[in-house]
Amino acid sequence: MIATTIEQGLIYAIMALGVYITYKILDVPDLSVDGTFPLGAALTALYISKGVNPYIVLVLTFLVGAIAGVITGIIHVKLKVRDLLAGIIVMTGLYSINLRIAGRANVAFYNQDTIFTLFPLNKILPEQLVEYERVILLAIIVIILKLLLDLYLKTKSGYLLRATGSNKTLITSLGKDSGLVKIVGLGLANGFASLAGGICAQQQKFFDISMGTGTVVIGLASVIIGISVFKYITFMKHTTSVVIGSILYKACISLAIAKITIKASASDLNLITAILFLIILVITKDKKRRVRQNG
Amino acid sequence: MKRKQFVKSMMAVGVAVTLFGTMLGCSKNSENPLQSVESGGSNETNNSVDTNKTYKIGIGQFAQHSSLDNCKEGFLQGLASAGIKEGENLIIYYDNANSDTGLTAPIIEKYIAEEVDLICAIATPMAQTAYGSTMDKDIPVIYTAITDPVEAELAKEDGGSVGNITGTSDKLPVEEQLKMIRQVLPEAKTVGILYTTSEVNSISAIEEYKEKASKYGLEIVESAINTSADVAMAAKDLAGKVDCITNLTDNTVVSALPVVLEAAKKENIPVFGSEIEQVKKGCLASVGIDYVELGKKTGEMAAKILTGETVASQLNFEIIADGEFYGNTAVAEQLGIELPKDLLDNAAEVFQTIEK
Amino acid sequence: MVELKNIYKYYNTGTVNETCLFNNFNLEVKKEQFISVVGSNGSGKTSMLNIICGSIPLEKGNIIMDGKDITKEREYKRLKNIGRVYQNPAFGTCPDMTILENMSLADNKGKPFNLSFGINKKRIDYYRDCLRFLNLGLEDKMDVKVGVLSGGQRQAMSLVMSTLTPIKFLILDEHTAALDPKTAELIMELTGKIVKEKKLTTIMVTHNLRYAVEYGNRLLMMHQGNIVMDKVGKEKEETQIEHILNMFNEISIECGN
Repeated sequence: MIATTIEQGLIYAIMALGVYITYKILDVPDLSVDGTFPLGAALTALYISKGVNPYIVLVLTFLVGAIAGVITGIIHVKLKVRDLLAGIIVMTGLYSINLRIAGRANVAFYNQDTIFTLFPLNKILPEQLVEYERVILLAIIVIILKLLLDLYLKTKSGYLLRATGSNKTLITSLGKDSGLVKIVGLGLANGFASLAGGICAQQQKFFDISMGTGTVVIGLASVIIGISVFKYITFMKHTTSVVIGSILYKACISLAIAKITIKASASDLNLITAILFLIILVITKDKKRRVRQNG
Repeated sequence: MKRKQFVKSMMAVGVAVTLFGTMLGCSKNSENPLQSVESGGSNETNNSVDTNKTYKIGIGQFAQHSSLDNCKEGFLQGLASAGIKEGENLIIYYDNANSDTGLTAPIIEKYIAEEVDLICAIATPMAQTAYGSTMDKDIPVIYTAITDPVEAELAKEDGGSVGNITGTSDKLPVEEQLKMIRQVLPEAKTVGILYTTSEVNSISAIEEYKEKASKYGLEIVESAINTSADVAMAAKDLAGKVDCITNLTDNTVVSALPVVLEAAKKENIPVFGSEIEQVKKGCLASVGIDYVELGKKTGEMAAKILTGETVASQLNFEIIADGEFYGNTAVAEQLGIELPKDLLDNAAEVFQTIEK
Repeated sequence: MVELKNIYKYYNTGTVNETCLFNNFNLEVKKEQFISVVGSNGSGKTSMLNIICGSIPLEKGNIIMDGKDITKEREYKRLKNIGRVYQNPAFGTCPDMTILENMSLADNKGKPFNLSFGINKKRIDYYRDCLRFLNLGLEDKMDVKVGVLSGGQRQAMSLVMSTLTPIKFLILDEHTAALDPKTAELIMELTGKIVKEKKLTTIMVTHNLRYAVEYGNRLLMMHQGNIVMDKVGKEKEETQIEHILNMFNEISIECGN
């Protein structure tokens, strides 16, 4: 069960990294991830059923998701629609597009190869680690993506992205169009979300149109939990915190499900999950009073 | 101060890890969990049941829904009739994913961790997750309330199993429903159907309706919605265009049944249900399946698998062959329609009142 | 160098509150001029700067820079050749990034922001020299986030950052107004030094008459969208604070205040 929790945490961490870009760096609330996450899954269902190599599918899902994000950006920046509404428009439209891509609301592909069945490490792993083979593959993917994102944020383009979120005036002063930077950021973020959706579909071996519901909530919760838990560990990068935040989020849900066995009824699941989040956030909240005493 | 804060962060992580640990711990200790006893007690025992063995079953239900709840009840009854009773020789883990596809995987994983003897998956996404997650494990899966197991890739075209999985289908008796509508409303030309684009079952049912309607001189008018918020508008629009409305087992539409009934009432047209619960609540009539019966059948199949009489991969999925007629005379009176006598005579149940 | 020709600017166009700010406004700024602009609130000083930069649209008129008509050019494109320091110290720097990162950002102005590494290690010493020039000790805090610096320190950085790359034109929009008198003095001294050293064409809007008199080689006073005083060169050198104050009073009496 721990393996599955970490697997799910890692998959959603990719999406959370995308939400981190929009919510934390760009300071744009982006709801289109609710549409791009299942977009990735729908594309995966389509291509995997057609026998396309699952690793190539990963690249495709990222690219198509990024295009969807760019469209959100263009609606927001060029057509001057408010950011929240631009996200809602794209999310709403994607629902139908996802249905069209997948062909129907639920597509299963149990017997096709996925990145997990093709994982080249399969054969070399020692027996006791076989259970964790999917975790290992996902961890590799997430670490690569995290490092790439860290690296990107250190490039000139990444600097521009970071500066856009905290001071748009500065971007204009630098002779750059802050709108364009937003479009790039939204593209990147939704590429991540779509990629996560694709991997999610490959892991569970089916696509369902309702997969995307609540994605943005999971993303935001992971970002906020991750960053507030590790806010005093200054050497830890935000991207790392977000990944761990996502795993913590999924751990809370797993824990709530496990607890149900003991006493509570099945309908209390969400309540238990909510209480667990509250506990984590309260524990890590620094009390202002103490700061004043010490300072 | 820095140090203190660091300690604090580590504490938080510690707590999280401990919580996680507890979770593991409780899954290990669950040999004697505090189970509530649900099933009542008839004392008959089946000989093939090994009374010394205690069975563990995980029941994963996808959504909160009266038909699905009935399925679960029927499933327990079916098991009980084979001598496998909760509180005696059966431990049940019951979880509901509340329609969240993200929750199906952790629920199934819990059952795997608990080393259950069988997983019962209610509704499509739960069954798909259960099958996908147990492919390399030795846990049989039995599903129920899946309209089209072939479409969901859970069964072969001929009804045979695709693996260590089998179950029952709540496929609608479409033809019988159409025949009944023709009989009740000889003048009707158009039948309206509301469905949710996200429900695969509805889409395959719509196709079947369209295919068979012309045989009865009827034309299907469909109206697609995305969320339950759309039902009101779509129902109002549809009610103005058709002679009657018939429901599918579409979860979203059925959950919003009062809204559909309201819209139909304004146009003074009848709504036909897809199962008994809807007729109770104000649909004119239905040729539908009894979900408790469906659950029972599923429970009986599960018992056969548990006792080793057969294995899931050898069992074809089952459909309740004949739909039963349910009518509501109170509704008929309101609409000024008379339900044909031969239907009433052969009815499984006729309601005289509308359940509030 | 920069020329504003027949500028018309209205506010609240189409409503009952429609007001006319500029009615055929003209200004020519010559190369290497350092203009101090004074005037009461609402006289159009900041609007004039915004029109030069393209931050606000105008009804009619042309803006010429180096012989090129830039009236239709968008704000961010114009600012490729213009450095601007705002009244609010927070506008000129990025608080979430370190001093070094901020300097690197500013240093890349006019070049493509591509996927090459953000910090050019070879330039770090140059940044240190620039910051040492401020005499605020910032050169030793290269890895500190700008958000923790004081307003004065940030404004000093904004000034350095906006003049780090070759620009045609520097715009100072009441850039000392939000600072305490001592810091304001320091920033003003730095401004004088930088403008002189880099031979920048500059427009400075200020409410501090002493700065207006002490700095620059041309002085403008604006009132209700018009230039009511324009002293250049020797005439400017001879202008005293009292002259400006007298002028202020005259205008006020005219307006019936």
